[in-house]
Amino acid sequence: MVLASAIDTTQALAGAVERAKASVVQVRVGRGGVGTGIIWPASRAAGQSSLILTNAHVVIFAGDVDIVTADGRIFGAALLASDGMLDLALLGVNAALPAAEVGDSQRLRVGELAFAIGNPWGQANVVTAGVISGLGRLPQSMRNLPYIRTDVRLAPGNSGGPLLNAGGQVIGINAMILGGDLGIAIPSHIADAWLAERLGRAPAR
Amino acid sequence: MSDNPLLALSRAMADAVEMIGKSLVMVNGRPRQPATGIAYEADLVLTADHVLEREDKLTVQTYDGRVLNAQIVGRDASTDLAVLRVSGLSVPVVGPAAQARVGQLALAVARPSPEGVMASLGVVSKVGGPLRAGRGTSLERYIQTDAVPYPGFSGGALVDASGAPFGLFTTGFGRGLAIAIPMALALQVAQTLTRQGYVKRGYLGIISQQVKLPPAQRSGGQESGLLVVRVEENSPAERGGMLIGDILLAVEEQPIRDADDLIAALSGDRVGKPVTVRIIRGGVLQTLTVVVGQKP
Repeated sequence: MVLASAIDTTQALAGAVERAKASVVQVRVGRGGVGTGIIWPASRAAGQSSLILTNAHVVIFAGDVDIVTADGRIFGAALLASDGMLDLALLGVNAALPAAEVGDSQRLRVGELAFAIGNPWGQANVVTAGVISGLGRLPQSMRNLPYIRTDVRLAPGNSGGPLLNAGGQVIGINAMILGGDLGIAIPSHIADAWLAERLGRAPAR
Repeated sequence: MSDNPLLALSRAMADAVEMIGKSLVMVNGRPRQPATGIAYEADLVLTADHVLEREDKLTVQTYDGRVLNAQIVGRDASTDLAVLRVSGLSVPVVGPAAQARVGQLALAVARPSPEGVMASLGVVSKVGGPLRAGRGTSLERYIQTDAVPYPGFSGGALVDASGAPFGLFTTGFGRGLAIAIPMALALQVAQTLTRQGYVKRGYLGIISQQVKLPPAQRSGGQESGLLVVRVEENSPAERGGMLIGDILLAVEEQPIRDADDLIAALSGDRVGKPVTVRIIRGGVLQTLTVVVGQKP
């Protein structure tokens, strides 16, 4: 296989990051707590509200939740649903925001490129890159759900942010760091299925 | 999208992992954390010596889930390499090696659990050698990488973006170093191990410590030597007349400033051959002849 030059390749990465960034928000809770959220395709949502997916552990014990968009706008957000075991939470925002493109996390391959956009240690819009390091399954007691392992460098504040593929599509929601250097992400199809279930039951506000 | 070079690179790396992954087996040779091995011949697997904490009841698990018994053919702690024989292995053997250049993309690929292959991405950080890391470990050449060494990655492969192996991945040289033993070097050791079960390495039979030389006895800029603090009974050193209190200065005119110099001087090709050993005894320079033995 003939590969393009390194310059073309890195420019393609920069382009993918640039496109994906618009759909990534900072999630601010209480006094100074920061996580990351993803503006999720909201075709199933009622009204004009945008839906934001993040980790439950980012928002679950918080009082007021604000989100900050990539272009610096701040909105109050309502906690619509959360699931502590899946570590997912759904926020609603009363504004039309650009939704992320969601990729197919059921066909991931170990070794494929992956990158993250998030707010590690509260720094806004930090990009880190690596690969899909492994595909695992949680124990039976946790519904035997699949999860993604990645060597993409993550830190507190990346929680709830996207793990993206080489096409800039969301393939996972970054949720945890093991041993300091192994990132754990929830596959996007698991998050999407959870979201669809929630929307089926209770419409957005 | 098909002309996106990033997608092409991503696909190539996933292909590389898939390809090398079939030659990687999980090695069960210690409690709790399995490690990895590379199939390099029909029934032979190369792995890291330090992941074998027992010598029997060894098993490997192949990419297609078969669990097979494995026997140690030979092992060499100095280079952290071991060869296992696995009958009925029947997996694709590793392809031709790639030459490592600093800056090249490098994937560390391993099979640390039955859940499947794992990978981490980095670059070739350094190509160097020799590497001596205490406890007698010694590598003539090595490749350093910043790819993350996850638990169980030792014995895996460091490969380029096309899946060609740079070498056998290991953290067995300590200091938190993630390195690969270059494939050519690893296969050369493997060949010796399959032939005789061990690697020839010279041995004198002394315990020594580094000492500063008195200024009057320095020559050629050599500032230190090795003070002999013990001579093993019936050892090559004893037979050659070495005594406690001697200060070892040189072997075959190679200056011996520290233990690393001595390890380098006692190479396998000197086993069984007489060498001249220069010492200071009671303040007087002397020369002895010692026949180098084989490290037990």
